[in-house]
Amino acid sequence: MNYSAEERAYLWLCACTQTDYRERVALLGRAPSPVALLETPEKYFPAVCKGEACAYHSEREKREAEADAFLGELARKGYFAVTLVSDAYPESLKHISLPPLVLFGAGRRELLEKRKFCIVGSRIIPPWAEKLGRTMSEEIAEKFVIVTGLAEGGDNAAIEGALPSGNLISVLPCGLDECYPAAHASLKERIRRGGLLLSELLPSETAKKYSFHARNRLLAGLSEGVLVLAAGAKSGTLITANCALDYGRDVFALPHNVGASRGEGCNELIKKGAYLATGSADILSAYGMERTQKVRQDLTPDEARALEILRETGEMHTAAIAERMGMPAYEVSAILSALEIKGLAVKAGGNQYSAVS
Amino acid sequence: MIAKIVCYTLLGLEGVPVEVETDVNRGVPSYDMVGLPDTAVKESKERVRSALKNSGLLFPMNRITINFAPADIRKEGAGFDLAVAISLLKASDQLVGVNVGDTVFLGELALNGDLRPIAGLLPILISAKGHGFTRFVIPAGNSEEARYLGGAEIYPAKTLQSVVRHLVGTEPIAPLDTAVFVPHAGARTSSDLKFVKGQPMARRAIEIAVAGGHNLLMIGPPGTGKTMLARCLPTIMPDLSFEEALEITKIHSVAGVLGEEGIVTERPFRTPHHTATTVSMCGGGNKTVHPGEMSLAHGGVLFLDELPEYQRSTLEALRQPLEDGKITVSRAGGTVTFPARFMLCASMNPCPCGNFGSSERTCTCTPAEIRRYRKKVSGPLLDRIDLQVEVDDIAYDDLTAGAEQESSKAVKERVDRARRIQRNRFEESGILTNAEMGEREIADFCGLSREGDEILRAAFERMHLSARARGRIIKVARTIADLDSSEEILPKHVFEAVSYRIYDKI
Repeated sequence: MNYSAEERAYLWLCACTQTDYRERVALLGRAPSPVALLETPEKYFPAVCKGEACAYHSEREKREAEADAFLGELARKGYFAVTLVSDAYPESLKHISLPPLVLFGAGRRELLEKRKFCIVGSRIIPPWAEKLGRTMSEEIAEKFVIVTGLAEGGDNAAIEGALPSGNLISVLPCGLDECYPAAHASLKERIRRGGLLLSELLPSETAKKYSFHARNRLLAGLSEGVLVLAAGAKSGTLITANCALDYGRDVFALPHNVGASRGEGCNELIKKGAYLATGSADILSAYGMERTQKVRQDLTPDEARALEILRETGEMHTAAIAERMGMPAYEVSAILSALEIKGLAVKAGGNQYSAVS
Repeated sequence: MIAKIVCYTLLGLEGVPVEVETDVNRGVPSYDMVGLPDTAVKESKERVRSALKNSGLLFPMNRITINFAPADIRKEGAGFDLAVAISLLKASDQLVGVNVGDTVFLGELALNGDLRPIAGLLPILISAKGHGFTRFVIPAGNSEEARYLGGAEIYPAKTLQSVVRHLVGTEPIAPLDTAVFVPHAGARTSSDLKFVKGQPMARRAIEIAVAGGHNLLMIGPPGTGKTMLARCLPTIMPDLSFEEALEITKIHSVAGVLGEEGIVTERPFRTPHHTATTVSMCGGGNKTVHPGEMSLAHGGVLFLDELPEYQRSTLEALRQPLEDGKITVSRAGGTVTFPARFMLCASMNPCPCGNFGSSERTCTCTPAEIRRYRKKVSGPLLDRIDLQVEVDDIAYDDLTAGAEQESSKAVKERVDRARRIQRNRFEESGILTNAEMGEREIADFCGLSREGDEILRAAFERMHLSARARGRIIKVARTIADLDSSEEILPKHVFEAVSYRIYDKI
């Protein structure tokens, strides 16, 4: 991959100098062009980085070599970088607070240009929400690129739904070399092959407490809208939703049972004016799109009846459904697992089932 | 004069003949024992001396040498006492004209001359009978288990004196009657499925598990009756045949855990605590090798409560016996193979706090904690557990109006019928149950219809099942079809089988 002189200077500034975000922005503001920073840093650095004696290498040749070495390293690892001045830099990100100067990516670069929609949820989410999230992600991925993180629960549902189509961007809270949570290393590799991994951090940086917060602003910033699958009253997922509101994005939330602690945040969002979504059609229609109709599945009379009962009651125990249907529980569990395989019901643990639209 | 008396020692489950040779010479009184006796055997000197004296017999004040042949196996335990005493009597001319060459003497002596029962008598009798011995003198305390041997003259004696009187013919002991084996004769268990309230899913799962010989994992919050359900497993398993009962009795006899009734009539139910060591599970011992929990559960159920709490190495040790039905233990005392064909039933909480998936309480575990907890059980072990079922944590009364609960007897009838179908099917394959089917048998007997095949494929895509789940789902579906007396595996059987694979999804 080829980088322009400007991009190269940007990358040098971000990767090879001892500066923080604020200083970099100030430096870029003072210098007529980023290239000038690389060529004559002594003109600009002293005014910005007070007290920092060696924020950069004093010899120009060394600086050039550093920049080349860094670009070489990126190429060797199969990563690409997009800077604020690159053409590929997502337009939507430029308007958020503290837009990242550089984005590092691995995978399908072209996804950055497509329309994006964010799906998030807390790490522990009810099985029905996970299942529904997966289905919705799969369906929305037909029109949008799904943006999400890499954690368990809500992120995982979004990933599993969208990954088969490849329309998936996963924004990491750490550098591209790292993986958080570590248990998702193989998932991360699957996304690198099928979708796109993004990070604003240098490849070797590890996740810090604050990086999740910072990452969440990117999720919202990249996307046209955010769907919250499940969030507790103090869930980190709400940070993404709040960012989305700040940036003027649409916020959607799944409604949860009153009193269910894992859904309080969602209900609170809806109260404050977020769109209530119960299926992908709600989201797509908000953008004037329609879902490509799926073929309706054939159900046996028993399956149809069980589904009807489930829809009527929400969550229900197998034995209770069996009683309603007047059949032995084991036959009903066969019917319910048929519904589960057809994607119409989901097992919620403790032999409870619930219907999925 | 030299006397030779036959006695037996155990090597694993096999009895090995040991000749006790005694030589009484004139000379300075002494008492030497040779032929690799261990401490308990050497101490027989004191017991034999007192027992002889207290039975009104004479302990020869001569130079005595006792040899145990063959000399290369280690002799352990007090079972040689009677043989030593008899050979001393014979060598010191106190049993003139009595033929003791074809009789096997077994038993431990008390100081007053009483005979004490010994562990592992039945396996010894069975081996000795195989070696051609048909006449035995045994402690009366062992009569119950000896009764089942049949085809041999077995004389139960209470004291050394009565043995001598029997031998010289003044007061013959009546030989034991052969007992007829009756399954459940010694039934003491009060477990019955009719006492299990609710749990329709788990009840069905244990029925399938027993019918097809599948291993079972029950997942549920603490205090929901997992153990109670597991205790019902033996009550619905097929009755023991005499051969099975003898084999189980042999193991229990060697381990010294045989009850009063002498022969095992109920399928064993073993519940080793989760602090159990690998050796206690597999079997072992310092010198001689004793059977472990896996062998004691042979023919019955090995119940592991709180599966993830067991040591990893202990659980991994289960894998090979689960496959082969036997375990080979090597120790300094020798290498022994014990049978270990048991049904594994395990239970665990869904997560460290126990409330994952509960409708009433909230789980406070993080996904990482749950993952760590479940990772304690390895994939290869889970591979060998065909059925996984969730045990409900809610009061059944909340769900249905108290329906009559089926008793173990009714369930057992269905299980027996399914087992008969399997026996006929596998007549030439050399296996007994669906769970033992290999790839070839699955191909031969579990042909799925096109529809069934499609269901499985859809299930894999939708439910994110692991690839190795396929064979197990088919085997379970076969058993469900057998319970249904259906020749073919129908779609509903496959659907139900899929619903017992919850672990693969999480």
